[in-house]
Amino acid sequence: MAKIGIMSFAHMHAYSYAACVNALEEAELAAVWDDVQKRGRAAAGQFGTKFIKDLDAFLATDIEGVIITSENVKHRAMVEQSAKAGKWILCEKPLAPNVTDAKAIVNACKKAKVGLGTAFPCRYSPPLKAVKNQIASGRFGHLHAAACTNNGQFPGGWFAKEELAGGGATMDHTVHVADLLRWITGREFTKVYCENGTLLHKNINTDDIGSLHLEMEGGMVVSHIASWSRSDSFPTWGDVTLEIIGQKGVISVDAFDQKINVYNDDVMRAEWVNWGDNPDLALVKDFVAAVDERRAPPITGIDGLRAVEVTVAAYKSAKTGRMVKV
Amino acid sequence: MNLAIIGCNGMGAMHAQMATNCGLKLVACGDKRKSIAVALAKRYDADATTNCEALAMRDDVDIVGIMTPTPTHTEYVAAAAQAGKHIFCEKPFGRTVQQCREAIAAVKKAKTKLFVGHVLRFFHEFETMKAQVEGGKLGKVGFVKMYRGGIFPQGAGKWFHDYAQSGGVTFDSMIHDIDWLRYVFGDAERIFCQAIQRSKPQPLDYSMVTVRMKNGIIANIIGTWAHPAGFRVRTEICGDKGMLQFDSNEAPLSVIMRKKTGDGPTMIVPDSPVTTSPYQLEWQDFLGWIEGEHKPRVTPDDALQSVRMVSAALKSAETGRPVKL
Repeated sequence: MAKIGIMSFAHMHAYSYAACVNALEEAELAAVWDDVQKRGRAAAGQFGTKFIKDLDAFLATDIEGVIITSENVKHRAMVEQSAKAGKWILCEKPLAPNVTDAKAIVNACKKAKVGLGTAFPCRYSPPLKAVKNQIASGRFGHLHAAACTNNGQFPGGWFAKEELAGGGATMDHTVHVADLLRWITGREFTKVYCENGTLLHKNINTDDIGSLHLEMEGGMVVSHIASWSRSDSFPTWGDVTLEIIGQKGVISVDAFDQKINVYNDDVMRAEWVNWGDNPDLALVKDFVAAVDERRAPPITGIDGLRAVEVTVAAYKSAKTGRMVKV
Repeated sequence: MNLAIIGCNGMGAMHAQMATNCGLKLVACGDKRKSIAVALAKRYDADATTNCEALAMRDDVDIVGIMTPTPTHTEYVAAAAQAGKHIFCEKPFGRTVQQCREAIAAVKKAKTKLFVGHVLRFFHEFETMKAQVEGGKLGKVGFVKMYRGGIFPQGAGKWFHDYAQSGGVTFDSMIHDIDWLRYVFGDAERIFCQAIQRSKPQPLDYSMVTVRMKNGIIANIIGTWAHPAGFRVRTEICGDKGMLQFDSNEAPLSVIMRKKTGDGPTMIVPDSPVTTSPYQLEWQDFLGWIEGEHKPRVTPDDALQSVRMVSAALKSAETGRPVKL
């Protein structure tokens, strides 16, 4: 039975991960720590575990693995402390808001000889796994181009505060697709051009829409939309879509399109209710297995770092108006 | 009024139908390939010729329709204008901005009317989207995403395959979306483009564009001639109060024909029928302008600006840099 702790419920994904830990027979949600006591206590109560107020006390327990779901800028300090305490770590994406912090995170875990995983649950989505398998089979031949989106509703709160998130929609919604394309093609990004801005929401100091154009090793060209463009009345949180143009065919995926349309008069808004597998559950299960066997989680800190490098280069491009090397 | 059509293949035949629906009489058909000119002329009891230049000179012709491959458009426009004819020209107006400028000068000098068929401005679904935007349903618009395309077009003599002539999907097809974007949201500041333009082993083109509008709006446009089958149009517009989506796959009508043998793949063709085709509406708009009833929905300068934008897109694709407009 692997003992798992969650550090911070600042990111809404923490609630999903906590439920996943509880759903796994081989794992136990041993404790919660949060720098916002009230939020941490409420979450601990919700998921039937204890809240530990003091971080040192939390890290001194026999918890074996921690899931870090704090604000982006706090990842580094939490990873460094957890690594020092010998904990296996699953860190929410983006790994960090800048390359320096992302590298420090990777190095801290290497030095402490603890496993570090980046939370890219999309790799566990069956439709996206199918794309990976189809491309790997070689039946699409040479890959020419891909047009992608990761749209979302406006998350608000710290997500749209530069000082806590390190960026806006481009920061929040580039890394999933960057990681997916690296994973699917086995190639790295080489260049990026980005236009972004604050065009859809008022009184925030981050961008809320980014349009990226990227190049990968081997010459594949990519368009990607990273946005908080879905209105509050939109029937779901957002999407992850890819259309990949191969020499021998085209494959398109709308990863969360396994849905039922629901029209409920209490809500007075159309809702898409997803069916099928829960990628978060597979992600957490794999992390728990890595903790249990004291091996590196399959989606590594380097994967997290590479996606951060793409995102940071996109911001540099938006600022300079030029295509930037990754 | 009498009409002559130059370029009598698919688009020419379609426009012949639309123009005659509006009460025009098709009197002459010109095409470099005689059989194509003859085929269309027969249906309308018109004359057929391979001497397209001579068509514009005929005394009994009031309007010349130009539906030839893009690089030949402006020469015919200038010739028709010099002969004092009104002109309906298919989009793209010309292959270069310079060509468009010269054609506009010829038309201005002749004081005739030139209409370029940016038909998207007449599509019912696009007019409805425009009305939603202008009615304030979305609040202040910040982002537009457009998508258009399917299989690589054949075209007479495979001229689409020659990127120097057609400009590929960016120049020939995405120009629809580029023009509509400018029509609804104003002028562009700069444009960035990636276009694959492959010829071997088979022609494939896929183009991905980001336009930064002068008012700050970001637009992302995808154009495909890289799909093995089908045709699809999608548009999404996002504002600070709401968003809208259109997808041509969500159509009221779906047609699937059974193959005689019963095996092998077949195509599902979605369709959205309307009483008056957008292609007929653009002819009505052009004719109303000639009659002095109203201003045209597409001006010659609009058509030039769209050529300017797609030319800039191709320059960006070539240089890997954004191009200022």
